[in-house]
Amino acid sequence: MGRDVKKDFKLIIDNDELENMPVADTSIKDELQRWPLFGLSVGSFLQVIAMEQQTCIMEVYLSANHWGHFCFVEGELYDAVYGDLNGEIAAMEMISWENVRLNIKQILNTSSVVRKIDKNLMLLMMESSRRRDEVQENGHHADGEDVDDIEEMEVIADDVERAKLSACLNMMSKDMGDALMAASISNVNEGKVMASFHASPETAEAFLRLTKYMKNAFSANTANNLGDHYILDLKDRQTLVVLIIGEHQWCIVFKNDKCTLGLLRNVVMPKVIRTFNEMNIG
Amino acid sequence: MNIQKLNVCMDILKKDLGEGFVASCIITTEDGQVLVATDKANIAEATLLNDATAFMRNALKTYPAELGQYYYIDVAGNMAVLVIPFGDYQWTITVNKKLVKLGLLLNVVLPAIINAFEDAVVS
Repeated sequence: MGRDVKKDFKLIIDNDELENMPVADTSIKDELQRWPLFGLSVGSFLQVIAMEQQTCIMEVYLSANHWGHFCFVEGELYDAVYGDLNGEIAAMEMISWENVRLNIKQILNTSSVVRKIDKNLMLLMMESSRRRDEVQENGHHADGEDVDDIEEMEVIADDVERAKLSACLNMMSKDMGDALMAASISNVNEGKVMASFHASPETAEAFLRLTKYMKNAFSANTANNLGDHYILDLKDRQTLVVLIIGEHQWCIVFKNDKCTLGLLRNVVMPKVIRTFNEMNIG
Repeated sequence: MNIQKLNVCMDILKKDLGEGFVASCIITTEDGQVLVATDKANIAEATLLNDATAFMRNALKTYPAELGQYYYIDVAGNMAVLVIPFGDYQWTITVNKKLVKLGLLLNVVLPAIINAFEDAVVS
């Protein structure tokens, strides 16, 4: 249950806390007003900005001495600054921050923005997760086995897997452009949604139940089992493709007048699946 | 519903799919009763797919979207099933996917049989 709560990120505009603050604390109040958003991890918000292809500066505040910013141009991470650090090193430091306060500023003129980060955001996030794993593992060996540690490790492993799957969806979104309407990746065995793009968890869960129903129906009533995909023609020129790859189920809804089923099956999906397999998921 | 035209639908289907045709049946969605079926048709499967269609319609409400003209299910081995729900009826077609390419099935065969099916149902 506690784990579920951790995953339930909510974007909160923290006005109450500021309004109830004593007048004497106005300097702190002013300071906090600079970062009106909280309740998300840095990684989650970075993915939102990348997916929405925003051009902005995302300011991040962890504490009085730990704050910095990320610079995005059309969803691509161009730079990051944290104290004396900048570029990739600064980004790696800040990506793993949680319970931060955030502020977004629009960039009106990108001509002066110098690109200092060439690495894909998802690769940076995966690298950051890997480093966190290493730190946790070292701590684990030093402290001995502990239930809290094991739970924390599971949460981190889950986060790494989610980041990898989000990277796959991000790649798909870039390849398909506005043809991609929604997508989700769920763990079939655990029945949970691991990554999504414009898809509600209810839809992903409903299709997990449908797959389970069809698997049972086919194995109980026919000589053959359900295969690895099914395709639904939808109204408004949309198509839904459900792919079952190992223990994951992918649901992809796309505009079939902008991307053909053949293009999805023969070009987009092989590339995404190759990336998916290279990440050693499942 | 024109039974003669329904049989014509089956003939068109067999002709278009050739060796790739395996079996087919048309059922009523309300009670799952079979109207027309060819040899080797798996009636239990067709009836279960009737329930699956209802399941899909409900699942799509959460998106929200509506089921279009057909759905296609890959089956382990050589088979695949194409389902065409239309009003009070549902047509289930089993094909040998090794012999019928998906593009041919969806872009050539399907439009022809959907037209014939609609004509048979509304007659």
